[in-house]
Formats: sequence, C-alpha cells, structure tokens
Amino acid sequence: MKNKGMYLLLLPGVLFLTLFLVIPIVMTIASTFYQEGSFTVQGYFTFLTDPYNLKILWTTLRVSLVTTIACILLGFPAAYYISKLGARKKGILLALAIFPLLTSSVVRSFSWMIILGKKGLLNSSLLSIGLIEKPLEILYTPTAMMIGLIHLFLPLIIITLVGVMENIDPDLLKAAESLGASRFTAFRQVILPLSMPGLIIGSILVFVGSLTAYTTPALLGGKQGVISTFLYQNAITLNDWHMASVIATIMIVITFVVIGLMNKIATKLNPKG
Amino acid sequence: MQEKNRGLALFTLLVFVFLLGPLVIISFTSFEPGTVLKFPPEGFSWRWYENIFEVKMFMTTFGTSMFVSLVGNLLALLLGVPAAYALSRFQFKGKGLLNAVFISPVLIPGIVMGFAMLKYVIITYNLPIYAGLLIGHTVIMLPFIIRVVASSLSNFDFAIEEAALSLGAGKVETFFKVVLPNIRSGIIAAILIAFLESFNNVDISVFMTGPGVSTLPIQMLTYVENNFDPTIAALSVLLMIITAILMFIIERMMGLSYFTKR
Amino acid sequence: MALLTLENVSVAYDNQYILKDFNLNIEKGQLISLLGPSGCGKTTTLRLIAGFLEAKDGRFLFDGKDYTRVPVNKRNFGFVFQSYALFPHMSVFDNVAFGLRLRKVSETEVKQRVEQILDVVSLAGFEKRFPKELSGGQRQRVAIARALVIQPDLLLFDEPLSNLDANLRVNMRVEIRRIQQELGITTVYVSHDQEECFSISDRVAIMNKGVIEQLDDPATIFKYPKTEFIARFIGFNNFITFGERTEQDGEIELRVGGHRFAATHNPGTANAQAKKCAMRPDDLIVTTEAQADLETNRLPGTVKISTFLGRSYQYVVETDLGDFTVNQEMETPYKSGQTVHLLFPKDKMVLVD
Repeated sequence: MKNKGMYLLLLPGVLFLTLFLVIPIVMTIASTFYQEGSFTVQGYFTFLTDPYNLKILWTTLRVSLVTTIACILLGFPAAYYISKLGARKKGILLALAIFPLLTSSVVRSFSWMIILGKKGLLNSSLLSIGLIEKPLEILYTPTAMMIGLIHLFLPLIIITLVGVMENIDPDLLKAAESLGASRFTAFRQVILPLSMPGLIIGSILVFVGSLTAYTTPALLGGKQGVISTFLYQNAITLNDWHMASVIATIMIVITFVVIGLMNKIATKLNPKG
Repeated sequence: MQEKNRGLALFTLLVFVFLLGPLVIISFTSFEPGTVLKFPPEGFSWRWYENIFEVKMFMTTFGTSMFVSLVGNLLALLLGVPAAYALSRFQFKGKGLLNAVFISPVLIPGIVMGFAMLKYVIITYNLPIYAGLLIGHTVIMLPFIIRVVASSLSNFDFAIEEAALSLGAGKVETFFKVVLPNIRSGIIAAILIAFLESFNNVDISVFMTGPGVSTLPIQMLTYVENNFDPTIAALSVLLMIITAILMFIIERMMGLSYFTKR
Repeated sequence: MALLTLENVSVAYDNQYILKDFNLNIEKGQLISLLGPSGCGKTTTLRLIAGFLEAKDGRFLFDGKDYTRVPVNKRNFGFVFQSYALFPHMSVFDNVAFGLRLRKVSETEVKQRVEQILDVVSLAGFEKRFPKELSGGQRQRVAIARALVIQPDLLLFDEPLSNLDANLRVNMRVEIRRIQQELGITTVYVSHDQEECFSISDRVAIMNKGVIEQLDDPATIFKYPKTEFIARFIGFNNFITFGERTEQDGEIELRVGGHRFAATHNPGTANAQAKKCAMRPDDLIVTTEAQADLETNRLPGTVKISTFLGRSYQYVVETDLGDFTVNQEMETPYKSGQTVHLLFPKDKMVLVD
C-alpha cells in the first residue's frame, strides 16, 4: 500500500545521510581523480608503484585472509555444537559470545597487550616452565594483529552460523542417515550446504571487518602498518590528503568487490536456488 | 556418537576460553597494587580504580562520550523511527535503494567514513569538533536504530493500526497511542544497541579530536601509548560492567535473536 | 434506495486492475456476503468500503452522501479483522472504550456503554483481561464489541472466523447473525467459506476476477447458479456441454452425440440459449441396466473408481460424454469395472452460462 505521507517520514533520514555520508564519500572518491584542476590517476600510480605501500596492502590482505580462515575453522564447529544444545544452554553460550562483541574493541585489544607483551602472561609462563629461554617477540607483529582480530571477529561468525544452523531441521540429518549416509557424509551433504549462506555472510563480515579494522592493528600491530592505520597516518600525521583519499577509495573498492564477489558465490552455492 | 560430541564440547569450551579468557585476565590485573600490569596480580588494591577518577582527561572525555552518544541517539531516533516505520509499513518502488542507503554506514569502512566526514563536513562547513562528533555518531547509530525498530515492527500486525483508524483515530494519534506502545521494548533495545555502538566507536572519533575534545575510547588509546599501568584495566572492568548491564536489558527487551540474524 | 452504492469503481495496484468498473448496491439492514476464491477482489472491495484503500475511479455513495474521499477515521464504520487486531497493550475494557473515548464520550457513559456491549457479546466480567489472556473466540467477541460500541453506520467483517476451529466457527456465525439482526445493522461480510456465507446472509455476492457473477439470496444461488464458475464453486462438479437445444411448451430438450436429455429452466441465466448443464454428485443416480427403462436422461457407462465415504459410496463413472462423479447410498456397492447406467433427473439438470 502506498501513502503520500510516507515520503515525509523518509525524507529527514535520507537527507541527513546524503548530506553527511553519501556526498562526503562521493567527494572523497572524486577528489582522487583531480589534482590542480585536471584529471589524473597519478595518486593511484604513486600508491601502486611504491613497494612500501604494496607491502602494507599485502600485509593487510594476508592478515585478513588468515583471520577469516581461522574464524571459520574455530567458529564452525563451535557454532554447530551450540546450535544442537537445548534452549537454555544455547542462550547462555550465545550471550557469552555476544558479550565480547558488545565490549569496546579498545578493551579487547588491550587485554591481548597484557597477554602477548614482552613481560606478558604468555612469555612469563613459557619462561617459567622452561619452554623458551628468552621472551618471544609477538606483540607488535602481524601475528599479534591476527590473534587480536580473530578474537574480535570470532563471536560474529559464531552467532551468524548459529542463527542459520538452528533453522536446519534436525530430521534432515536423520533422513540422510536413514537413506544410508554415514554421520560424516550426512553432515557434509546436509549441514554444510545448508549452512553455506551463514558461512558466506559470516566470512564477508570477518574479512571486510579485518581489512578495515583500526583499533586492533593500531594497538597490537606496532609499526607494522595496515591499510587503515596507513590512511590515518597519511591524513593526520603526514597531512597528505590526496594520498589519504586514494587509500580511502581503494578501501571502498576492495570492500565492495569482496561483498559483490561473495554474494555471487552465495547465489551460486545457495542450495535453495 | 557420544565420543564425538564430547570432542566437540571440549573444542567449544576452548573457543570460549579464548574468547573470554583475556577479559577475565584484564579484570584480575586491575586489582594489581604495583605500578606494572601483572598476571596474576601480586595483591589486591582498589588504587587504580581510584586513579581513573584522578585522571582528569578520563572524566572530561567520558562526559563528551556520554553527550555525543545520548544526544546523537536522540537525533538518530528522530530520523530513524519514522524511516523504519515507512520502510516496514509501505511497499514502493525504490525501497531497495533506500534500504541500501540506510544500511550504508555499516558497509562503508568506519575509518573511511571518519576521514570523509572530517574532510567534507567539518572542514568544508567549518564546524566545531563537537558538532562533527555528533553528526558522525548519529550517522553510525542510524542503521542500528532502523534495523532494530524495523525488526520489531515486522512482528507488529498493521491491522491493529487500521483498527484504530476505523474507530476514529487520526494517523498521528494512532502512531502514538497504538503503534508506539507496542514497539516500546524494540525501541529501548534499539537505543541501547546504538548507544553501545556509538560509545565504543573509535574509527570515526579518531578523526574528530581537537584541542581538549576527545571521546573516552580515543583517550584510552592515547593513554595506553604512553602508560602501561593498570588504570586502563580498571577502566576496562567498569566498561565491561556497563556493557553487561545494557546487554542484560537488551535481552529482556527483545531476546538475543536479533544478533544471530543477518 | 440503496444505503450503500459503489458506482463504476476501479482499484489497481501497479497498473494491474483488481476491480474495474465495479458496481454494488446494498440495502439498509441487510447482511450481505462477498464470497469467492482468494484473489477475486472481495477483500479489496471491503477495504475500499472501509476507506483503507482509495479508488482510482468511480464513486462511493453512502446514505446519499459522497464518501469517496472521506478518510477512514471519519466514516464511522465498524471493522472486524481476520486477525482480530485487538490492541495488545490495552485491557478488554480499554480496547472497547477506545472508539468512545476518541468521540469524547464522558467516562460514566463510556463505562455504561462498554458494559452493555460486553453483555451483548456475552463477555461481561472480562473487562480487566488482556487480549493475550483470551481464547480465539473471546478475542473475536471483543473485536466485535469494539466495532459495535461506536454505533457504526455500517459493520464490516473480513474473514472473521478463519482463525477459529470448526466448532467455534459454527457457534460464532450464529452469534454474529443474532447480534446483526438484534441491532438491525447493515453488514458486509467477506469469506471464502461458502457454508458460512450461505448460513448467515440475506444476500450473497459471488465474485470472480473482480466481478460479481451472481448476487442473490442463498437459496436461489444454491439451486440456480448462474454460471459454470459459480456452479463449480458451490459443489456442482458434473458438466455436459450440449450441441443442440430445442424448447417446446416450456420443455427444454438437449442433444449431444445421439443422447437426448430434458432439463429445467434456470431463471438466473443471462443467455436464453445456454447449452451447458451442471449437476451435483448427490443428484445423479447409478443403476444397473435391468432397472433402467427411461428413454431420455440416461447414459450407459462403466464404474471406474469406487470409494467408500462413510455414509455413502462415491463412484466415478466413465461414459462416452466423459467421467461423472456420483455419491450414492447403497448396501451392496457397485464394483470397479461393472457396467451401469447413469440417470439424470430432469429437475436436477441446471442450465448455466
């Protein structure tokens, strides 16, 4: 049903977002193609030919990829286990997974600084049991970033997967087994394909989230830059706004390419067609 | 079968130890009496909790954060509730596009939004930092308000609204007397979820700090860069307590299923 | 003069017409049903009358006044919804009082009128309950009371019983009819359940694809459906299309493939030369050859399927005019493959358009 007053309800929100989000983003992208009044792609050329920048881009992609794979490997079995529990236990575990998600990323990254630091919990325990002789240098490395990011995004993929898995009719598994499938085959042929939509959405969230996260790399990555800290550095520390805009545009492009690509895969894999 | 489930249970337990362990550790270290963070702590002391209130910047930035999150929340409600209502109630062309516009603050990387707003809102219009923070936080809260309110409206039978109209109530009267009371808990949950999202935000706020103006998370970041005493641990514990309380209310209001739906 | 008139009304969604040049007249004090399959436009018609929809073209007259552009909340019509649409956050009393309070009726009068109407729907004593504490039937009564208490000029029902179980449905429809007659209130009732419509209505409008195919009292429709669509809808499922038709002294004779049939006149049909006959499965007779001595209205065939229905048997009989379905009580039933004769009583052969 339509209604004329409807547009009046939508207008303020649309106007606000257009003015303060859409236009600034479009302007940021457009500005990368203009320098001193003429069209240019010099910014992109500069960015993509500097080995230092490429290294940052590569680190970012590598860290995000490892984080995503780790989140899937840790999250999928846990989510499957949670989805099979009774309502009460499921509720408690879900709450325990959601709590970190709602907790400040500063707090969560800081907790890993305590654990991974040179005199941190990990090193002191390893030293005291004699497994190592001098402290490991983990904090301020890509490894620390990955651990922090896995910690940051694991709850997201778990709850997304539980949301999908709890809607899978448990009789389907029994039906598959009654038709002669082993428990493993039944899982692979029934649970896995039906969980695909959740797995893909979860992976998008984790990958894009890791790619663009700021707090965790800033606290745990040290001098090891990723693309988001590099953007901040260019904008605020170096005051190179043109380069910052180029990086911003590259981040938007990567984000939307990833989302688009995964959506394509999702439509292809969707068992319900 | 029993065997396999036990393996899976153990695996899940380890996953949760990984998720919650660091938060437990941070809580323990906050009671450290010495000046260096240690686990396990060497004693018990409230001194770092007291210290939070002695660091003036924590107090001022907490004030700023509260102001921005609360006033921004109000703005986001004023903009978001009518939009959520229209999107749930009516079918029209271009609805998909509008949905995309309203969800865009979640899709666009926060750090990019922060930068773009700094450049094309604060600097272009020459706005004070405070206004920039307020606008930025309203933008990031808006999609959460719309999503939660829309999901609560999806359980609302619009025939109820028609019933009120047929009994003689006007459209505005109907909204306030019949629609609003029935989505009250959804709106409360929306406010709290958006509040947490804004209060914890770093990506946008990091671009909008100026002389004497900053938010609490940004202040914490700065503090950590220069000090490694347990004050941040103590502050973290307080923030976690607030988070837990708000999460409990959200659960009471609309359950936790909102989080599992994508 | 009719109380309510829809005049050449059209309703369209996205350029697709639900109703086109639609006309309807309703007399004061009557209960009229709109009956038809889903998508026939009955609910659209009701929502148009209520004011939830706006017509693209045409006029809606009520009591001599043009109501086409009068908004819902100014029409003073009572609407009873399929989902009951009770206000979940209000008690039964507040639900019923809602319309009165909007009309600025004094609290003492509100109390008196709410109690009185709750009495009418047999819900006295339920004032403090909330909708979720009531059964389906009780909710329905509250919904009716809420619509009645404002003394509406017209009462509208949108499939009010479809969420109730079968027994309750029968009780409630008797109740609705009782209240409607007691208060003498003009009522439009929408349903897809023909038994429900036939049992409570003064007149029934059967709709198909946005058009009223027949508007008559229930008995007439039941006996003389105008069209094949209506005949099928109300349970005629045997049809014969004839090649020739002759009429002599009011006697109609029909012929096809060497068979001759006599049929009765259908006063409803628009086409005086209708050549299609409809028959109910209960009205045909299966018999063995020995008993069949009629010249006309007789057809040889073979029993194809025989199904036990409890009180009767259902046979599907194959003939050279196609398959016919017959319900018949019989102690020793016919068997599949048995050769039989089908008899078509003359007065049960209804001509349709």
